[in-house]
This record gives sequence, C-alpha cells and structure tokens, in this order.
Amino acid sequence: MCAQPVANTKEVRWQKVLYERQPFPDNYVDRRFLEELRKNIYARKYQYWAVVFESSVVIQQLCSVCVFVVIWWYMDEGLLAPQWLFGTGLASSLIGYVLFDFIDGGEGRKKSGRTRWADLKSALVFITFTYGFSPVLKTLTESVSTDTIYAMAVFMLLGHLIFFDYGANAAIVSSTLSLNMAIFASVCLASRLPRSLHAFIMVTFAIQIFALWPMLQKKLKACTPRSYVGVTLLFAFSALGGLLSISAVGAILFALLLISISCLCPFYLIRLQLFKENIHGPWDEAEIKEDLSRFLS
Amino acid sequence: MPRLLQLLWAQLSGPGMVLKAFFPTCCASADSGLLVGRWVPEQSSAVVLAVVHFPFIPVQVKELLAQVQQASQVGVAVLGTWCHRRQEPEESLGHFLEGLGTLFSHEPWLQLCRERGSKSWNCKATRRQGPTPLAPACEDQVMLIFYDQRKVLLSRLHPPAALPERQAGDATASAGGLAAVFDTVARSEVLFQSDRFDEGPVRLTHWQSEGVEASILVELAKRAAGPVCLLLACLLSLVSAASACRVFRPWPLSFIWSKLSTCEQLRHRLDQLTLVVSAHRAEGPAQLMRKANTLVSVLLDMALGLLLLSWLHRKDRFAHLAEALVPVADRVAEELQHLLQWLMGAPAGLKMNRALDQVLGRFFLYHIHLWISYIHLMSPFIEHILWHLGLSACLGLTVALSILSDIISLLTFHIYCFYVYGARLYSLKIHGLSSLWRLFRGKKWNVLRQRVDSCSYDLDQVWRAGIPPRTGEGCPNWHQAALFIGTLLFTILIFLLPTTALYYLVFTLLRLLVVTVQGLVHLLVDLINSLPLYSLGLRLCRPYRLAAGVKFRVLEHEAGRPLRLLMQINPLPFSHVVRTYRLPSCGCHPKHSWGSLCRKLFFGELIYPWRQRGDKQD
Repeated sequence: MCAQPVANTKEVRWQKVLYERQPFPDNYVDRRFLEELRKNIYARKYQYWAVVFESSVVIQQLCSVCVFVVIWWYMDEGLLAPQWLFGTGLASSLIGYVLFDFIDGGEGRKKSGRTRWADLKSALVFITFTYGFSPVLKTLTESVSTDTIYAMAVFMLLGHLIFFDYGANAAIVSSTLSLNMAIFASVCLASRLPRSLHAFIMVTFAIQIFALWPMLQKKLKACTPRSYVGVTLLFAFSALGGLLSISAVGAILFALLLISISCLCPFYLIRLQLFKENIHGPWDEAEIKEDLSRFLS
Repeated sequence: MPRLLQLLWAQLSGPGMVLKAFFPTCCASADSGLLVGRWVPEQSSAVVLAVVHFPFIPVQVKELLAQVQQASQVGVAVLGTWCHRRQEPEESLGHFLEGLGTLFSHEPWLQLCRERGSKSWNCKATRRQGPTPLAPACEDQVMLIFYDQRKVLLSRLHPPAALPERQAGDATASAGGLAAVFDTVARSEVLFQSDRFDEGPVRLTHWQSEGVEASILVELAKRAAGPVCLLLACLLSLVSAASACRVFRPWPLSFIWSKLSTCEQLRHRLDQLTLVVSAHRAEGPAQLMRKANTLVSVLLDMALGLLLLSWLHRKDRFAHLAEALVPVADRVAEELQHLLQWLMGAPAGLKMNRALDQVLGRFFLYHIHLWISYIHLMSPFIEHILWHLGLSACLGLTVALSILSDIISLLTFHIYCFYVYGARLYSLKIHGLSSLWRLFRGKKWNVLRQRVDSCSYDLDQVWRAGIPPRTGEGCPNWHQAALFIGTLLFTILIFLLPTTALYYLVFTLLRLLVVTVQGLVHLLVDLINSLPLYSLGLRLCRPYRLAAGVKFRVLEHEAGRPLRLLMQINPLPFSHVVRTYRLPSCGCHPKHSWGSLCRKLFFGELIYPWRQRGDKQD
C-alpha cells in the first residue's frame, strides 16, 4: 500500500474528539471554543412578594418552636393547667382535622385511600403508649443536670429547624429526622415538668405542633394561599405575644429575626441575583439528564 | 564453620561429584580386611558398615552378606579394602588387596589405607572405564567422613522443615543424602548383632552394644509388662463401658458432664491410659514416642497428685480448708453487697437513673441473700465433700486441679448469674438502640439486600396529593405509630443505658476475674497434659537421639590427601522437640481472639461457657 502525498492542501480542521489522530498538540483549542460560552442559563427572576410568601414556611416553623417553648415555660412555672392545654389541643386538633378534609373536598383522602378508622387507630396507639410511658418519662432525666437538658433540647430544636422539609430539594432535608429531633427535645423538656400528666400532655402537644400542624399548613398553602398568609400572620403575632409575656427583649429579638427573614432576606436575594454570573460551556462536566435509576434497579 | 561445611556438603551432594566414604570411627583401629557397606549411587556415597578381617573364605563372606541383605532389605556389598599398616609397608599385602578387587567386583572400588598411627590416611577409589576388567582404571576424588556408628544407629533424623535457615533446594538434596545414610545404618542392625568375640567363619569389626543382660530388673519389667497391660486394658474397657452407659446419656446429665472440666479431664485421662496399655505394638518411632510421653506424663501427674494428697492429709488440712471456705464465700458475698450498695448510690458521680438503679440493685441484693442462705445450708457437709473430692487427687494432679476449677465455678455461681442478667439486659438495650437509631435517622434495615435503606416514615407522605402510598394500606398507619413510639423508646433507652452499662461493666469485670483464674488453672492442666516429658528428657540426657541434622568438623585438609571430616549430630532444639511431640490436650476450652472477645463484650454477648449455644443461635 503506497501512501500518496495528499493532493489537496486544504487546511485540516480541528475536531473536538479524542478518537482520531490530529496534527495538533493535546492542549490545542480552536477559535470556535468560546463561541459556545453561555451565561446565567439557570438564573431565575424572582418577584419580591412571591419570595416573601414562600419565606412564610420558615416563619411558621420558627413560630412553632417559639410557641412550644413558651407553652413549656408556662407549664413549668405552673401558670398553665395541663387539663386546659389538653382540652385546647384536642379541640384545635379536631378543628384542624375537619378543616383538613374540608379544604380540598376530601380529594386527597380519596387518592391516598386512607380511612378514618386508620387515623383513629394511629391516634389511639400513640396516646395509649405516651400515657403508659409518661411516668417513666417523668423520672427519666432526674439525675441529669437541668442545664444539660436545656442544652440538649436547644440542639435538638435547632436540628429540627435545620433538617425540616421547607420544600427545597436538598440532600440535607430529612423530615423524619427533623420530626424525631423535635420529639426528642419535647421528651427532654417534658421530663423536667412537675408531674407525669404534664409530661404526657407536653409530648402530645409536641406531636400536634410539630407533626400535624405543618401538614395542615402545607395543604392550606396549596389550596387557599390568602387564608394561609392570614394564618401565618396570626400565628406569628400570637407567638410574639406569648414571648412578650415572658421577656420583652426576647420578643424584640424574635420580631427582628422574623422581619429579617421575611423582608430583608428576600430583598437581599433579589439584589444579589444581579451579581450572578455563571458561565457554561464545553468545559462543563457531562450532565446526565435522564433519570437512570430505572436501569440501575 | 559447621554452617559452611553444611553448605559444602549440600553443594557436593548432587550426582557426579566427589565420592564420599562414610567410615565408622570404631573401625579406625581395626585390622586390615574388607570394607562391607552400602553404595548409594544417587549421592555417590559409600556407607561403610563393618570391616571383615583376614583370613576369610570369599564364599562365606558372600553368604553372610546375602543373609544380611535378606533380613534388612539393604543392598549390602563389599565396597573395597581396608588396610591398617602397623609396620613397614608390605608390598605383598598391597598387591593382594588389589587382587581382591577382581574377586569382589564393585564399582567404584575403594582402597582405604591407614598408615602407622592415626596421622596419615590414604584413600583411593578406582573405577574401571571399560566393561572388561583389564581396562585402564581412573581414580575419583574421595572425601572421608567419619561417623559414630552407635549414635547414628540410635538417632532419629527429623524432617528438614526443622532447619529453616537452609535454602530449599540444597536442603532437600543434602537431607536426602543424610536420610539415606541414617536409614542404611538403622536398617542394617542385623549386621551389628554378631558378636566380636564369636569364633564364626567370618570375623567382623563394627559397633557393638554393651550387652542385653545389663540389668535383670529391666528384663523382668519387660516380661511383666505384657500381662499387666492386658489386665489394665480389661479394667479400662470396663470403666469406659460404664461411662458410656445409657443412664448418663439423657439431656440434663450430658449437658452437665460437658460443662464440668473434671469430667473432661477424667475422659482425657482414660484415653491416655487406654493408649498406654493398648496391646497393639507401636507403629513407627513417632507412635512409640507418643506412648512413652503419655506414660511419663501420667506417671508424673499421679506422683504430683499423691504428693498433694499426702500433704493435705497431714495435719488435717481438709478441716482447715473447709473451715476457711465458708467464711471466704461469705466474705465474697459481703463484698458484692457493698459493691451493689455503692452502685445503688451515685457511683463516681455518674448520671444514673435512680428508679432503674434501685430496681436492679434490689434484685441483685436478693440474689446474694439467696446465695448466702444456700452456702450456710451447705456448710456442715463441706468438709466431707472436700475429703471425698480430695481422694481423686490420686488420679493425678490434673484431676485435682480440674476439681478446683469446678469448685471455683460453683462458688462464684452468683457472679455468673449477675453477669448473665447484666449481659442480657445490656445486649437488649444495645440491639434496641441500634435499630431505633436507624429509625431515628429515617433509615431501615432491608432484610432482602442485607443493607440499610432510607425509608420515608413521612406523616404526610400519604396525604400528599397525587402520590399514592407505596407500601399498601396498612403500612402508613403502622409507620406513624412506629415512628412516634420508636422515638419515645429511643429517648428512654438512651437515658437508661448508662445505668445498665455500669451494672454490666462491673459484673463483667468480676466475671472476667473468675474466668482468668479458671483459665490459669486450665492452662496448668493443659501444660501437664501436653508437655512431652519423655522427649524432653531424652533431649536432655541423650541429645543425639533426636537429630535435627549434622555438622562436619574438619580433621585433616591437606593437598594431595583426601579431605577427612568428622560427622557430628546436631540435636533438635527444645522448642522443636516440644512442637513435634506435643501431646493432644483436652481442647475443650474455647479459644477467643482478642478482637472477637472485645466485640462480644461490647455487644453484650455471653463469653466463655455458653459459646456453643451462641453458635447454634447464629
């Protein structure tokens, strides 16, 4: 096979492939390289009030924690009778339960196929067990120092806030872990209360405020956004009021926190969006668009 | 120097090299005559076994050799001539010896000469190159190696694995050569039985034993051993038949037998005695050595046991022991009570759960109370029990030690019980916590894939619009309840864990102390059982009997004369003796590695006695 010299002297064009031998050095790139540069393709335009509306989930959760701590403080001081809390909690739970089905006209229940009997059974199992364990809960942390318990409760509630499912799609989110941490904190705090009935009612209240209340919120937010804003404001003001009755400084700080989260943070987000400069081009890593999990399993 | 010569030997032991003549030292002063021995062509070595003196009739020599060959299966032949010149060299003798080469034809033909005194030796090996006897002869180089016939005959060469420092190829070659030499000498024992002073037709010089009639007592013992062994074997078979009786088979009894170390030791002793008195002849030296080792170990054990018994019987020590035993048990119980009371307080400022602490403490205190009552109930009988058990020491020290170990087990039964309760409780907590920790993090154990999967116990999972529940109707309900109760339990268990763990730790330490003491006793028993005392004694008094190899000492190395070496036997090192001849011990005590022990302790699995049951559960 005799190789003749190539007759056409046409310039050999560089190709961005590795499977062919080309007369260029390995690190050679062509002029067309930057033609594929793109900027900010995933940047989103935010509306200020929409972001404020979305931030209300965080507000709600902060207020939940605040209300829980305030109620615990009242119980610990003996200013709040456990029977009264139980009655209120039961009534509000019933109202919430009715509201839950009423909002979407029972559509979600039909889809999930969950019966009322199952709900009742869950509630009964939970109440029975908690009531049975409440004497144990009472004596559980007797020998542990109160400061340790407070520190543990604070860490657990912080963990609850961190791992809570605010609707973001991130790896850190784990609603189970968040709920468990909240219950752990509530058990820790409940064990400091004077009697076992107090402890039982505290844990029940924790379930209501940390497990049932976010479910109702989510549904409210999805179906009737306006009433959701009203409920959020009401809840925030009641939490502030409760905190004010304990400590004015705490209430002011909490109010500042709420305002900064609901008003300042969205503002900053939108301002900082202007400085966003993401570049995309052929140097990016390959992205697998398709969900391959069905091949893997 | 010996190492160097070993290497030299290894180099030279391939085929087609210097001819090696092994010559017994006892023949060095013999009169002139014929060399009788075996030719090993693979090693090109000639092993001289004896010297036949003049005068002889060649036919008779050949007949004798044929007889020896038939008896010992060794190719014994006339290898050459031996000439010991005490006076001036005689030309005629030299010629005569050369002439013998044609009479007893052998390839190569050795001509060994010692001249006037022991100073100068001469050695020639001629090999005829042609098939005809008149062809020109060529001479090989010869190396003369002296060996002590008695030692080589009695010694047993151990496998070359005992000498790891040599290289593999050399080791096999030289060891093969040595083995051939040792084997030849050992097998031609028939040749050495003829007496030097017998006026037979052929006169031989070789090593000769001092005579069998040295001790009449030994002879008598040999004669008596047969019937005594037979009698003992009958008795032992009776005993073993009784012990194998069906009455002892049913479940609770067999279980108890397997747990008592005394029973194990008695069974082992029975096996040992059966081995010693068995009517079968020992096959091979290994079997013989094992029998001897067993016999010596049994005898020593019994002697020690009798010594112990006599010591105990003097001055009525049993009564003292029995008197001391009850207060000691009381004292232990008292100490335990103090320990429990300490634990029921706030030990070392630890955060214990008071309620659980009180419950556990009272439970254990009641247990100790029961134990003390039991001991006091037993106290009047303890002396008798001890006296009867003490009699078993005449079966051997090991049996007495095993009984001691069992007594320790029985006297610390309460500690064992505490340990078991503590471990069970602790392991329950640990396992509960480990699975609840998964639940706490929102994971679950996938049994099918043997791994941890993430699992959504979301409360609102089923309520979310558009997502049907994945796990069927009943599950979400269960999940919710499991989630709440699991978290509650997790909290409770985590706060109760320190209390349980402390009790577990304290009782495990106590138990480990007892196990260590028992382990030491068992170690002693195993040592007595498995130490090859006879082999060790043999190594101490007759080092050449157990040979690991040989070393060579240069006697003469001059140009123009054959190299003369003295072969000396390297005795087997003591560690190898112990390793080679170790007797099998009971082996009933489970062996843990340290890692698995720590793991078991951490997870609250029961250690030492109930291992078999644990395995079954796995």
